[in-house]
Amino acid sequence: MSGQVTAAPGPAAATADPTVPFAARIIGWVLAVCGAIGTAAALTLTIEKINLLTDPSYRPSCSINPILSCGSVMTTPQAAAFGFPNPLIGIVGFGVVTTIGVAVLAGARLPRWFWLGLQLGATFGIGFVHWLIFQSLYRIGALCPYCMVVWVVTIAIFWYVTLRNVHHEQLFTSRGAVLLRYHTVVLTVWYVIIVVLIGEQFWFYWRTLLT
Amino acid sequence: MSKKRNRPARPTADGGRTGGSGAERIRKASDKAAKAMRARRVSTNTRITFGLLAIVLAGLAGLFVFVQNSSDKARQAAGDRVVRADSHRLTAAEDGKVTIVEFLDFECPSCGQAFPGVERLRQEYAGKITYVVRNFPLTQHANAQNAARAAEAAARQDKFEQMYVKLFENQSTWGGQQQDQSAVFEGYAQQLGLDLAKFRADRDDPGTAARIRDDQSDGTAAGVQSTPSFFINGQRFDGQATYAGLKAAVDAALAG
Repeated sequence: MSGQVTAAPGPAAATADPTVPFAARIIGWVLAVCGAIGTAAALTLTIEKINLLTDPSYRPSCSINPILSCGSVMTTPQAAAFGFPNPLIGIVGFGVVTTIGVAVLAGARLPRWFWLGLQLGATFGIGFVHWLIFQSLYRIGALCPYCMVVWVVTIAIFWYVTLRNVHHEQLFTSRGAVLLRYHTVVLTVWYVIIVVLIGEQFWFYWRTLLT
Repeated sequence: MSKKRNRPARPTADGGRTGGSGAERIRKASDKAAKAMRARRVSTNTRITFGLLAIVLAGLAGLFVFVQNSSDKARQAAGDRVVRADSHRLTAAEDGKVTIVEFLDFECPSCGQAFPGVERLRQEYAGKITYVVRNFPLTQHANAQNAARAAEAAARQDKFEQMYVKLFENQSTWGGQQQDQSAVFEGYAQQLGLDLAKFRADRDDPGTAARIRDDQSDGTAAGVQSTPSFFINGQRFDGQATYAGLKAAVDAALAG
């Protein structure tokens, strides 16, 4: 195998190469920060799930009102899509992402197959998260704050892993340059669409908060 | 394209041309680099992103204002429905400044309890407040509907107020019973000197039932769930339904 995991001279070399577009340069930070946030959210959800199992009357810390309530979301079949609680996937997945991010920040150079593997994982994550968003909005009818944190970081991780691979691994290079240039525009539109869907779906509830 | 835009100015590139001392050259170069960094920061991407966020925020603000306006209007409309042109006015204010509306059920015990306080208030503030009574008969009271019909039938002979007083003063004799008390109400009509045949016809007129229903639906729209419910100038009164409680609210409304 040609790709070896080797350390570059210093962290600066990996993150500050000016010929690399900003959107691709920040991959280490995105993975480390979003991975850490995702790990924390998944860990919290797991702990809440355990608390809920030991004491069925337990009220999770994120059950704020009828709409913002993880208690009602956590007890649904969708919260254990593969037969075990979803946050377990998060603990493993986000833990790995965090580690990769820190390694990149430390100057590690990872082979192509490694990045394509991460792309595969991030793609699975993005698919799963959007299925969960759909279920939460249109099937369960409640929002779980920690889950929403996971939605946000998973989208960011997927987006910047893809951009990084567009630049470094020549994925979809024909349209890639535009995406790299307008990276936060795409991300903002993505988030705004989800916010609008949430606003529309729970409009009856948000209304009562206004009046 | 993006590579060119993102490349910061290289301090050493034009060092030879500018000349000067080494320290000055470095300072100039770093100034230039800082300027380039600033220029790069406001890229098209950033501008579009913030533009989008600004549009979204403006949209949210607009939506907020719109919702507030429309809910104010809805509340206003419900407030307007609290009293109608043809609602029964027991007393009328000369200046029309303060209007109290009571949604009541003639059989409800708490309405009967509130009645003496209301009468005292009406006497004390005669000519200063408009006192409106509207029907809200509750289904759990077997004769509430009959009593409301009796009051409405009396109103057709301009004796609403007298019937209203009679029904409350005698609530303990006819209230809380499962049997039909229509005969008792006919007796009151006779005592008030009403034309009994007309009283009976008006009582059974579908128009009377419709009028009671209209009172009730206006009450429901204004948020009435129990009786007695008072509204002072269209605003719901949430205090105690006693003489003192109502007096305080009326004084406040008169002062305001």
